[in-house]
Amino acid sequence: MSKSIGIMMNPKSVAVIGASPDPDKVGYSILKNYLDLHYKGKLYPINLKEDSILGLKAYKSILDVPEQVDTAVIAVPAPITPEVLDECGRAKVRSVVVVTAGYAEVGNIELENKLVSTAKKYNLPVLGPNCVGVMDLKTGVDTLFLPSYKFDRPDEGSLGFVSQSGSVAGTILDLIGGEDIGLSKFISYGNASVIDETDILNYLIDDDDTKVLIIYLEGAKKSKEFIDVAKRIGKKKPIIIAKGGATAAGSKAAHSHTASMAGNYQIYEAIFEQAGFIQSNDLDEMMGMAKFFDKQPLPNGNRVGLITNGGGTGVLATDSIYRNGLSLADLTDSSKEYLRKVMPPIVNIRTPLDIGGDADYTRFNEAIKTVVNDDNVDIVAIIALFQTPGADSRVAQAIGNYASICKKPMVVISEGGSYTAMHKKIIEGSGIPVYSSPEMAAKVMAAAVKYSEFRKNSEN
Amino acid sequence: MMEENNNMMDFMEAVQLLKKYNINVVGSKYVESADDAVKFSNGDPIVMKVLSDKALHKTKSGVVKLDLSKPEDIKAAYEDLYNKAQELKPYKILVQKMIKGGTEIIIGGNTDPQFGKAILLGFGGIYVETFKDVSLRVCPITNYDAYSMIDSLKSKNIIAPDKESRDMIKDLLMKVSKMLMENENISELDLNPIILHDGTYDAVDLRFILGE
Repeated sequence: MSKSIGIMMNPKSVAVIGASPDPDKVGYSILKNYLDLHYKGKLYPINLKEDSILGLKAYKSILDVPEQVDTAVIAVPAPITPEVLDECGRAKVRSVVVVTAGYAEVGNIELENKLVSTAKKYNLPVLGPNCVGVMDLKTGVDTLFLPSYKFDRPDEGSLGFVSQSGSVAGTILDLIGGEDIGLSKFISYGNASVIDETDILNYLIDDDDTKVLIIYLEGAKKSKEFIDVAKRIGKKKPIIIAKGGATAAGSKAAHSHTASMAGNYQIYEAIFEQAGFIQSNDLDEMMGMAKFFDKQPLPNGNRVGLITNGGGTGVLATDSIYRNGLSLADLTDSSKEYLRKVMPPIVNIRTPLDIGGDADYTRFNEAIKTVVNDDNVDIVAIIALFQTPGADSRVAQAIGNYASICKKPMVVISEGGSYTAMHKKIIEGSGIPVYSSPEMAAKVMAAAVKYSEFRKNSEN
Repeated sequence: MMEENNNMMDFMEAVQLLKKYNINVVGSKYVESADDAVKFSNGDPIVMKVLSDKALHKTKSGVVKLDLSKPEDIKAAYEDLYNKAQELKPYKILVQKMIKGGTEIIIGGNTDPQFGKAILLGFGGIYVETFKDVSLRVCPITNYDAYSMIDSLKSKNIIAPDKESRDMIKDLLMKVSKMLMENENISELDLNPIILHDGTYDAVDLRFILGE
């Protein structure tokens, strides 16, 4: 199965069954996406009535296509999908994506079973149904039928994304597109009727383009195999996961304290914990985690070197740091000595290092340089409040300069309106994630420390 | 929350199984007379309980007597429990050495319909479901899992204040995980409380539910 997913992500030829000249139809958007992304392989629109669509020769059936097709994307009404899939089987199509909905998810079990038995009959690897399919910007693959003007398509990068749900997928892709994060592979798998999450993880574990992975999951089809692949992939790359369905349904009456506290949701949490997955409660947290793990190295410890140009925010951040199991770094004597020399007398030489509301880029620069090189610091956190008189684009630039120099992870906390948003863009463009709340920044740093520990210790 | 269940493993049978896995259980014995109980006490404080499927909440049912060491107290307690137990047949009267002080934890097991055996560690005692300070893992667990179960508890510094106690609980979790994996028929398990005391631990109360 994982091999078939590989074909889907890099096919030599694609047939869009249900391709349409009508811009309001799913079959139009899909074909248009491939064209927009300058897909280099062969494209075959399949439509009963049309001779050509979007300038491409159209065929009446997949069986009429003159070659064996690598991927067929099926976007025809649900009732005729088994028939169309049977044709794909006879045409020896190598992989199939069914984006059509209207199967088990709406109670149409019979139709779903028919689809599955047809897939089995021809040994066809089928993704979906009821999914938005796959995206690989490197190869120009995009089966998403979301009108592209409605969302920010991400750039090419190293973040993988797997989603059971199509709607969550659209939202997250849009969010990724809005951040400075690039996408490697996107796979949505809907009802997981044939290809399921275990197959997808088995594929992504060896996908070198994907360095970090985010997953939205509602439940796993397989049991032991799922645990097994989860444990293997967790040791190889950071996996950020959000699990839908927090309320336990259909749990049997418990006879013991243990059983009453060990519901299905808790079991999933346990599996993720054992696999070293980074668990997030919502999409916001997920994105916050993603932009850290995508660009920053893992920390060697939990000591945060905190620099701030705002006293109160420094206090709030300190609270968040300790609340999340991190601690403030105590700077080395030589750092302190240096800072005493370069900082004005109003600056107290201790952490959080409050460099004052009037701090300009040179003061920021001296402080960051010292903290970055301090042996007692594992993570560098900078609060940059751009409402202050001294903070301007040169401060954002000074921070950004350390993105490539600093071997330790760095985060920035900066909250504010449009002036701040502009500077946030500058900093994030350098690869350092910016968070608007100290709590979110602390959660992310704590997750990084925990994952780093996991990578070091989980082999024992 | 908890329901009556007839598929419970006999207490002393469960004790034997725990001992097979080198898991400490407080000195326990069924007695059939007051003299038996006096002999078991031998001057030490003991606890006396009626075990019956009809009295799952022993404390609430008034079928537990604590801190008995004088022979006359033991005899009086036996008479009382014997009389109460006549309505709870079949029953057994259990005596256990009493541990004073210490910290109570729970270690439990459950069978998830999809993923199989799971193990739980928590701050124990009768308020376990009130505090819900527990951590859960799917079996079999690794050393890393066991340590992380301890570390994820809010009460970690109470139950494992030093390296020795941390290692002790880790070893205990590993043993329970092994037992759960090797005994398919145990569908649910409560070792609650396990009392941590004097650098060691003893399982005091236990409940093994057997699957179909």
